[in-house]
Amino acid sequence: MEEKIELSGREQRKVLFRLLSYTKPHKRMITWAFLLLLLTTIGDIILPILVKIFIDDYLQPGKLEFKPLLFLGSTYMTIQIVKSVLLFFQQVKFQEIALYIIQQLRIDIFSKVQALGLKYFDKTPAGSIVSRVTNDTEAIKEMFVTVISTFIQSGFLLTGIFITMFILNVKLAFFCVIIVPILIFVIVLYRKMSSKFYLDMRERLSQLNAKLSESLQGMSIIQVFRQEKRLRKEFGNINEKHYDAGMKNIKIDGLLLRPAIDLIYIFALIIVLSYFGITSLTYSIQIGVIYAFINYLDRVFEPVNQMMMRLSLFQQSIVAGSRVFKLLDEQQLAPCQNEEQPQSIAEGKIEFKNISFSYDGKRDVLKNISFTANPGETVALVGHTGSGKSSIINLMMRFYEFERGDILIDGQSIRDFSKNGLRKKMGLVLQDPFLFYGTVKDNIRLHNSHMTDRVVEEAARFVQAHTFIERLDDGYDHKVVERGSTFSSGQRQLIAFARTIAANPKILVLDEATANIDTETEEAIQTALANMRKGRTTIAIAHRLSTIQDAELILVLHKGEIVERGTHQELLAHGGLYHKMFLLQNGAAERLEDVVN
Amino acid sequence: MKVFLQLGWFFKQEKKSYISGVFLLLLVALLQLVPPKVIGLIADHVNEGTMTRGLLIKWMLVLVVTGLVMYVLRYYWRIMIFGSAVKLSKILRNRLYHHFTNMSPAFYQKSRIGDLMAHATNDLAAIQQTAGAGVLTLVDSLSTGGFVIIAMAFTISWKLTLICLIPMPFMALLTSWFGTMLHKSFYKAQEAFSSLNDKTQESIMGIKVIKTFGQEQEDIEDFRKQSEDVVKKNMLVAKIDSLYDPTISIITGISFFFAIVFGGKYVLNGELTIGQLISFTTYLGLLIWPMLAFGWLFNIVERGRASYDRVSGLLREKVDITDKENALEIVPCGDIQYRLAEFTYPGESRPALKDIHFNLTRGETLGIVGKTGSGKTTLLKLLIREFEGYQGEILFGGARILDYKLNKLREAIGYVPQDHFLFSANVAENIAFANPNAAAHEVEHAARLANIHDDILQFTHGYNTVVGERGVSLSGGQKQRISIARALLLNPEVLILDDSLSAVDAKTEEAILSSLKQNREGKTTFITSHRLSAIQHANQIIVLEDGRIIEKGTHEELMKAGGWYKKMYLHQQLEELVEHGG
Repeated sequence: MEEKIELSGREQRKVLFRLLSYTKPHKRMITWAFLLLLLTTIGDIILPILVKIFIDDYLQPGKLEFKPLLFLGSTYMTIQIVKSVLLFFQQVKFQEIALYIIQQLRIDIFSKVQALGLKYFDKTPAGSIVSRVTNDTEAIKEMFVTVISTFIQSGFLLTGIFITMFILNVKLAFFCVIIVPILIFVIVLYRKMSSKFYLDMRERLSQLNAKLSESLQGMSIIQVFRQEKRLRKEFGNINEKHYDAGMKNIKIDGLLLRPAIDLIYIFALIIVLSYFGITSLTYSIQIGVIYAFINYLDRVFEPVNQMMMRLSLFQQSIVAGSRVFKLLDEQQLAPCQNEEQPQSIAEGKIEFKNISFSYDGKRDVLKNISFTANPGETVALVGHTGSGKSSIINLMMRFYEFERGDILIDGQSIRDFSKNGLRKKMGLVLQDPFLFYGTVKDNIRLHNSHMTDRVVEEAARFVQAHTFIERLDDGYDHKVVERGSTFSSGQRQLIAFARTIAANPKILVLDEATANIDTETEEAIQTALANMRKGRTTIAIAHRLSTIQDAELILVLHKGEIVERGTHQELLAHGGLYHKMFLLQNGAAERLEDVVN
Repeated sequence: MKVFLQLGWFFKQEKKSYISGVFLLLLVALLQLVPPKVIGLIADHVNEGTMTRGLLIKWMLVLVVTGLVMYVLRYYWRIMIFGSAVKLSKILRNRLYHHFTNMSPAFYQKSRIGDLMAHATNDLAAIQQTAGAGVLTLVDSLSTGGFVIIAMAFTISWKLTLICLIPMPFMALLTSWFGTMLHKSFYKAQEAFSSLNDKTQESIMGIKVIKTFGQEQEDIEDFRKQSEDVVKKNMLVAKIDSLYDPTISIITGISFFFAIVFGGKYVLNGELTIGQLISFTTYLGLLIWPMLAFGWLFNIVERGRASYDRVSGLLREKVDITDKENALEIVPCGDIQYRLAEFTYPGESRPALKDIHFNLTRGETLGIVGKTGSGKTTLLKLLIREFEGYQGEILFGGARILDYKLNKLREAIGYVPQDHFLFSANVAENIAFANPNAAAHEVEHAARLANIHDDILQFTHGYNTVVGERGVSLSGGQKQRISIARALLLNPEVLILDDSLSAVDAKTEEAILSSLKQNREGKTTFITSHRLSAIQHANQIIVLEDGRIIEKGTHEELMKAGGWYKKMYLHQQLEELVEHGG
């Protein structure tokens, strides 16, 4: 559900102008489009004039000279055809501009999203961010393609026609101008009325769909509690209200849309005909002018109809636009790095110094964490869910900014490394490795297109992934679908290992998979982990204690604090929390009984 | 056009609206002929200098009246025809909903909610379009087209009419063809759009990976490329879309040209007046819409038929769980016996349950434990008749559950499902879901029993706090307890707790269990759980594995037996120790 946004007129204009500012880079294309528009409009205006000349100069006097008539006729057809062809290009051009504007807007939002810190993603559902990038921009596209371009086209035509009318007959043109305020009045009235009713109907429709979708999801509850009849009635009521809203819209459209515009057309016709009728009582009149005026009137009203039918889109687009700009103006950026005098990671020594951290500013999830990982050593983090293991990794990877304490790499604050310098030398393997749509190879190489196939394969061999990848259809070109759901979690983990190793980091951050892994892959993973850790400083979250028995330092976390630290043997001998966890995973039933009692 | 026959029942039902709507449309089509005629007459009078004040006033009055009458008629046919179309979609939507409420879980297993939603929205929209715009384009293209042609042929010149009509059918053909092409290219553009959507979704879900490898720029580049593709596919749509106006312009241009050239000749011959020629060109202008409408009609009807087929296919799906003839009209109570040889889910080959036999005396509590997928939930679903078609029988109060009316059987049961689903309503309404007329104190009583009353009072609006998809977010434990209260409100003969205490802590669990014990004297309870503490005090415990009972007895008996149950019990005890930091 989107939050409802009510915008004042001023805010609406602000959004509109900001949207229009996106046209700036396309000046050339826009100039072309307007030139084409000018030409087609001129064509539209000249054609009736040619007929007028034919009627007044040849038909009425009964002069039939072949040559001038042939010239007139062929000019008419040439202009007609050229105008139609230009019309095609003009319409395409306007749509092209709209599409490029929207593309730029999309890229801007997407880039913005990439620059945001993880904090933003925690509080914003993924679906709503996706909506900003795609659906909202699509709504804005509709406005550019249909509303704004019809508006400009109709504006041109109307102006052109009125100018010509003034040239043909100033007095009559003045009379015709009367219909402009009437038209504007109807348009404004319609916009006011319909936006209200239209919004009401959209609201009813979304209620209807929400009810339906909710009922489908909770159908078994409805049935087991025998509430089918009641819900049918409730749904029927919403449906009825939606129907009423629909009828109201039909009525408003019937009162103010096409029928009203057609009525105004008749009034314009009456003005023109009366003028000629009255004038003809005293003067003689060129009949061709009547033809031209009538013909122009026929052309004026259709674009107005088209524009009005799309007015409701305008409102929606402005709301979509305001949501998009809100995201573009979001301040919650990813933590900054000092790019001015960047350090590079040489040794890979990691120190946590009195780090305390809170996500929400209220509850500390890490309390005074200090430890050192010397180059090439492994520090393992163990503890129950919510003990703070993942938070340590989140800080280490600079996903979140910390304020209290410091993290040092090779004796320098982690903030003093450039973003790229950090990313190149630090590798992270997530607990549930995320695989992208594409091939296995793409997933190892990611966007590093210059990485050769050989490097990809070597990395896969190094982490024991080569054997299973080779057995897939198409091997490294095997298609990864639906985030890798066709792979077992162990296989996904191996591919993620390969991805990390291919980048050859100095520091390794591991979040071990918790899911059940089949024994065959388990073995591969263990060997791979041992290989990967060689010569790299490693910080690992271990769920299975068997994997970290050789770690130089094991930190046992509970509620954000380090409650025990030491090597595997030391901790076992200590007989505390680590000991119990170890028994839980490895203990036979009899030993369990001893501990529990 | 077959869809108009298929919709015959509706046209018949709404025949008043449709007949009067079509009648009004015909009147409007006739009245439309007046203004061009008047233009021609005035032009002739002006040209020939025969204009008088009286004549002018007379004709202008005719125009005023015609204009106003058309305005009124146009308003009313819209209400008749478009209004009926909206009504059709309302009726079909209600039917679909009604049908959905009758379908069993087996139906929901094989159809995706997204698809069902699409039928109820997109397909109904297409059908509504057919019953509204479809009828309009059919009637209007025939009537306006016909009347204008007749007026041109009989009141002006049939020869000129024939000549000028030659290019017109091409317009109908071409626009209909563009319509099909547009539909196809639009589909492709839609595909490109949805893959851009997927790409965005993926980047956001995988944001950590992207950040870890410092590939933000590369990913933006990838996005740019995909958005390029969207532009390309949409350009094709734009190009086809831009074909309409020029085509109409050229074809009507040719017609106009013919009219002026040949009409001019007839004027010079004296066969026509100049005024008639001007009327004629205005009539030609009126022919554009019927030709377009005709082209349109085919696209509308084609889509409408496909949608109607899908919707009626859905409505034809059989309701598979129904009452037997002469089913028992009483709410069952008493002992429950399972004598189940085998049950297999529809469409699967491996049985979900096998050889399940037990007796549960009224007032007893049965605990069911076992790994995920061992059949615990299935066992309960058979009791509430979400699925039938098993071998063997389940008896409740001495009769087979299949012999009761479904409604009566379910009246005896309060069910708390594994996936606690709450509706977008306030807390009180959610608890009183099965009995909307329950008094406030009854709701509160149920909430107290489920140990959620105090939590509710902490919510901003207490019992009036809206929950569910569009309401405040509750913790899993709170949702579970509200859904327990919902079942307890009925004070049911049989209470089923399907792993419904998994998200509450041990203390709350104990509190709920003991209040159940006190308040459900003499009533039967089923509890499935991963955590053994929840079923430890049950009268009987069964352990399921792969759909079979592997252990059975009371807690003490099972601990003595030293099997799966005991191992699990000790394991969980230790786990709890670790959770509390040793």
